[in-house]
Amino acid sequence: MNPVFWIKIALLFLLRSRRTTLALGVMISFAIAALVFISAIAVGINDCMILNSTGLYAGHITGSHIPATIVRETLLADGVSGVLQRFKVSGTIYQGVKSEVIALIAVDPDQELKNTYLWKKIVRGKYIEDNQSEILVSDVTAKLFDLDPGATIFFRTDSTVYPFIVSGIFKTGIDRFDNGLAFCPLSIISDRPGTWDCALFLKPGADMKQIIAAYSQKGLKIPNLKTWKELMPDLTQLIELNQISMGFVMFLVLGVVSFGTACAFAIVIISNIREYGIMKAMGVTSGEIVMLIFSEVILMNLIASFAGSLAGLLTVLISSRTGIDLSGFTSHNQYFVVSGIITPRLNSFSLFLPSFLSIALCLLSAIWPTMIVIRQRTSDILRIL
Amino acid sequence: MIEVIDISKEFRSGSVSVKVLSKISFKLGKGEILTVFGKSGSGKTTLLNCIGGLEIPDSGRINCFGTDINAVSGKKRSIFQRKNLGFIFQSGNLLSYLSVTENIVFPLILNGYGKKAREQRVAELLEILGLNLFAKAMPHELSGGQAQRVAFARAIAHSPRMLLADEPTASLDTQTGLNIIKLMWDIARENNSSVIVSTHDAGIINYSDKTIHLVDGEIRGGKE
Repeated sequence: MNPVFWIKIALLFLLRSRRTTLALGVMISFAIAALVFISAIAVGINDCMILNSTGLYAGHITGSHIPATIVRETLLADGVSGVLQRFKVSGTIYQGVKSEVIALIAVDPDQELKNTYLWKKIVRGKYIEDNQSEILVSDVTAKLFDLDPGATIFFRTDSTVYPFIVSGIFKTGIDRFDNGLAFCPLSIISDRPGTWDCALFLKPGADMKQIIAAYSQKGLKIPNLKTWKELMPDLTQLIELNQISMGFVMFLVLGVVSFGTACAFAIVIISNIREYGIMKAMGVTSGEIVMLIFSEVILMNLIASFAGSLAGLLTVLISSRTGIDLSGFTSHNQYFVVSGIITPRLNSFSLFLPSFLSIALCLLSAIWPTMIVIRQRTSDILRIL
Repeated sequence: MIEVIDISKEFRSGSVSVKVLSKISFKLGKGEILTVFGKSGSGKTTLLNCIGGLEIPDSGRINCFGTDINAVSGKKRSIFQRKNLGFIFQSGNLLSYLSVTENIVFPLILNGYGKKAREQRVAELLEILGLNLFAKAMPHELSGGQAQRVAFARAIAHSPRMLLADEPTASLDTQTGLNIIKLMWDIARENNSSVIVSTHDAGIINYSDKTIHLVDGEIRGGKE
């Protein structure tokens, strides 16, 4: 058995059966291109959900009750793009006879603006500025106190009363933000608590577990350091569900395409079956027939997969320049609270899985036409004119 | 030496069985040409298929160059066929997606000929059979006679010990058929290949060393 010879014969068969090869090749390429694009969108949707969920406020890693002895800069490490320091001050907000118990989060406005997207959820007014006695309140609080930007309101702790000007009003649609939270610049809070919370934002590709491990190695004892996956198991499950669904879609679409390819191959082989009979009469073994038919299937799939992946890649590149705006379908969803623009992204899963599945399924489907040739007696084949 | 001993073959279709060959026996020496003639349906193709190992007789034995071809099976039989046999059929002999040269080279590669030996043998056959101008042609570009010459070139390329030709001139006009047969037999004799040809063309019989007349699967005469 000479594999190179049979691969060459298979290649000649494909090249000289132009129309059949083209029709089958285009069908496979089209399916792969579509799946590469769809799975890139699925990856993009996952990215978007992660970005929305972490970018609004929480970051990729969240820590709470960090002793004030650990300064913000200590947490800057490889792979960390931003460390946000937040002090949670409990107290009462009041104006006239109205009051509400809230948690006032004292933040560094410049760092927050740089790393988070809460400012995008401001419905009136503007974000707080550093060194200004400004407060950002939720729409619920604003309605309770009948507040507008520019209004004055007071915040009272056990020891201090802070007068604030309302700089803006935000509305996220997420209960834990919209009820009982307000934000002010860290610089104007004189009685800071002894512990602070952090939100760590990571560079693309950085490993969350490695960063946490690096802090431990540095001897930093930070309690309650949790990744977004631990904090949002619902989102983690949603992403896994999305991936599994994509796997099913790929399997089903390529299964249908492979079945079509198998049918087409069977038709081509049956219409040329006399030639296989002649080969068998010349002493070509069953093993060599298997090698020939499988080589034809593999070669066609490799070429079609390459073309399909390339077409899918180009479509992803073009669409990722502007992104696909699905805001109309995501406006009431907390995982798309900041943006509903999906940027398709390729990863090894979306780029290689369609081609791999296509080749695997087509090989499986090639068994049928191969069996037709092998099982039929040579003399019976040769009787077919 | 090819020895056919008492072979019989029946085909069954449901409850009906048809005896196609009945106790056929003959011997054929090295380089001899045997013509099996008879009417359509007399069992010529089945006899050739049995000798070539494409069909297994119900009884009897076929000894080709010391090998009982029906006793070997699967891969061993295929290897025996590729080394020792060359087939020519009535029509549709060529692999449609291979050129004339590629068709002729096919059995040479199967039999492990080196590149130089292949090129030399193909050039020689193209020259002898007057196919030089068609070396790169595809089968659909050839006339019936040209296609049969290519089929012959492919069948004889690896110098098989036996050539089996099943009505090779049936799709050709009489004169073209005779010309091709003369050419083929000359080459086969030079090659020392034994030839068994089936035909219902009386003109071919004159060019044979031996003949068998088949009637309803039985030998009813011939020339020893």
